[in-house]
Amino acid sequence: MSLSQAARDRIVNDFIPRYPSKRAALMPSLWLAQEEAGWLGPEVFEEVGELLDLHPTDVASVASFYVMFHRRKIGDRLIEVCENPSCFLNGSDQTYARICDRLGLEAGHGGHGMQTTPDGKFSVRPTECLAACDYAPVVQVDLRFYGPVHEADVDAFLANMEAFSIQGKPSVSMANGPQAVPVDGWEGHAPPAPGSAA
Amino acid sequence: MTQTPPAADAPIQHGAGQPLPWEPVLMTAVGREGGRFLPDYLLRGGYQGLTKAVQEMDPDSVIKEVTDSKLLGRGGAGFPTGVKWGGTKRNPGPRHLVVNADESEPGTYGNRYAIDADPHGLIEGMLVCCFAVGIQQAYIYIRGENLYGAEVLEHALKEAYAAGYIGKNILGKEGFNVDISVTRGAGAYVCGEETALMESLEGRRAQPRIRPPFPIEVGGGLFGRPTVVNNVETLMCVPHILVRGAAWFASIGAPACPGPKLYTISGHVNRPGVYELPMGTTLYDLIYKYAGGMKRNQKVKAVSPGALACQLLPGTDLNVQMDTATLTRPPHWHPPFGPVGFGAGGIIVYGEETDIVQVVARAAGFFARESCGKCVPCREGTHWMQDVLGRIAHGHGRPRDLGILEDVTRNIGGRKTLCALGDFSVNSVASALRLFRPEFEAYCNGHARSSAAGSGVPVAAG
Ligand SMILES: Cc1cc2nc3c(=O)[nH]c(=O)nc-3n(C[C@H](O)[C@H](O)[C@H](O)COP(=O)(O)O)c2cc1C
Ligand code: SF4
Ligand code: FES
Repeated sequence: MSLSQAARDRIVNDFIPRYPSKRAALMPSLWLAQEEAGWLGPEVFEEVGELLDLHPTDVASVASFYVMFHRRKIGDRLIEVCENPSCFLNGSDQTYARICDRLGLEAGHGGHGMQTTPDGKFSVRPTECLAACDYAPVVQVDLRFYGPVHEADVDAFLANMEAFSIQGKPSVSMANGPQAVPVDGWEGHAPPAPGSAA
Repeated sequence: MTQTPPAADAPIQHGAGQPLPWEPVLMTAVGREGGRFLPDYLLRGGYQGLTKAVQEMDPDSVIKEVTDSKLLGRGGAGFPTGVKWGGTKRNPGPRHLVVNADESEPGTYGNRYAIDADPHGLIEGMLVCCFAVGIQQAYIYIRGENLYGAEVLEHALKEAYAAGYIGKNILGKEGFNVDISVTRGAGAYVCGEETALMESLEGRRAQPRIRPPFPIEVGGGLFGRPTVVNNVETLMCVPHILVRGAAWFASIGAPACPGPKLYTISGHVNRPGVYELPMGTTLYDLIYKYAGGMKRNQKVKAVSPGALACQLLPGTDLNVQMDTATLTRPPHWHPPFGPVGFGAGGIIVYGEETDIVQVVARAAGFFARESCGKCVPCREGTHWMQDVLGRIAHGHGRPRDLGILEDVTRNIGGRKTLCALGDFSVNSVASALRLFRPEFEAYCNGHARSSAAGSGVPVAAG
């Protein structure tokens, strides 16, 4: 595995001139390298380091800080299930368990590690809030967001992910435009405001 | 849905006392065909704020206008934007602008929708800042997960370059040159902290810097240069301030921290989402009037008013006004931990069926994973809290564990760390211990809530 000539050109002609220091081109360069190979191996650290005048160990050290840079080969598709509170309250644990189950993986390992199916098709791991909490529980597949994916939706989701895509959709609250509209008859359903009797 | 922006002198006065429905300012592009592209932005009055700044004002009067509007930063710290700009300008150039679009605080998602809907609103705000502060190079740092947002921004930048809003001699103004580019993060919550963000932009591990020097000073900012770091939503307010005037902006909502606010609400509400409302809208209105009330009609047990980094509010406190000023002052101040906090206005609502111990254990896990490891109290304390809470949540808690937890929270919290992540990590733990101690005690005495039986709420996997 090594960087293509096109990638090298892009790093030199596009990324480096963007910043006053060569080093600052590191994040986009690592992204580009990972797009090409699917992960980042030792050769990439050397080659990127050479282009940016950085020691390969330095490059690897930076890459290892960020969970989205993979330093091992992963499955063809990466499925990540948000496990933070808003998704948790809406049943993300069950979604995660069902996805693992359907792919023949073990859920509830209690850690934050990644598991990959033996055929190398899928990797699965829990992830942190994806900033799409209105569509909880949210699932990320290869940098695209899907939701809500409840436990009962998992089979349909695995069969046709695009049906669950929320990419580019407005917020749940904005289906009818930007106005924050009071819910019809809300007063009848809400408890009295605290202190309103006083 | 069409929306004509009212003239600057139109007799509209949004305000705390004004009848709703409130007319949105920031999210007008939603629901419009091609709303995010340049032609529609221009139809909606786009780039008029910048034009006014460049043609009718000078940089200092722009800063004065923003200062007078009383716009406070929407990223969490609530710093007055005009003061930050003025401070940066007093330091010698070259200077930079960095847009903080990292948005990784669990429960916060307004920036993502704002970028999707109206990228030019952000770009115009950036250009006004560059004009006012004297900046030629600006960067947008967006979290790595939000690839779509980065693509939307790249496209909008192309449009703006082609139309001459970015580049050289902008709007014919000799010497007003700005370049803007997008840099993607790669999955680290701490990158939202402004100095960690700059480290990451410079190609390093995202570990916060020791202050002083502050970002606005020489040696403290991006590439060592004086730097304005602003949140997406903060900058999106700016063009409207110039077009409609500081007095208009200052009259909206809470007088101490006025303006429109993109509240995001999630958790156990029927209609989660982004609600643009005047700053200072009450929690009760947000939950019941707009977000459709509670799922399965349950009562509110607790609320994280500013997402996971804040202290919990009890479900009895729904009259509280949701704004920076209210939630950072007594009675919403709890020594030794400090303010409840408003953060970026990401509200998580927990219904009665919530097992708060499980939520807090999850919060502790989040901060332990996201601690950058630079300071000892945060690095060791967050893992300690994660271990103890994990043990309790799995039903293996011991009575003395609560004492240990309290001890750890006091040793991290209260400004003992380099950045605020340390304080954030203890906020939900300490406040939950204060508000819901019997639930923790039950867990430690072998009486764990039976996974909130029948509610559909699971026990955490770990
Ligand atoms: C751990 C941590 C995470 C933060 N995350 C964000 C974030 O995602 N977005 C943001 O705008 N500010 C975030 N902040 C606040 C920034 O440090 C900074 O105050 C803000 O970007 C300044 O912009 P403003 O003045 O426009 O609010 C975070 C702070 C800390 C300590
Ligand atoms: S408080 Fe935590 S995240 Fe912030 S600098 Fe210290 S160790 Fe890093
Ligand atoms: S908590 Fe899951 S997307 Fe925010």
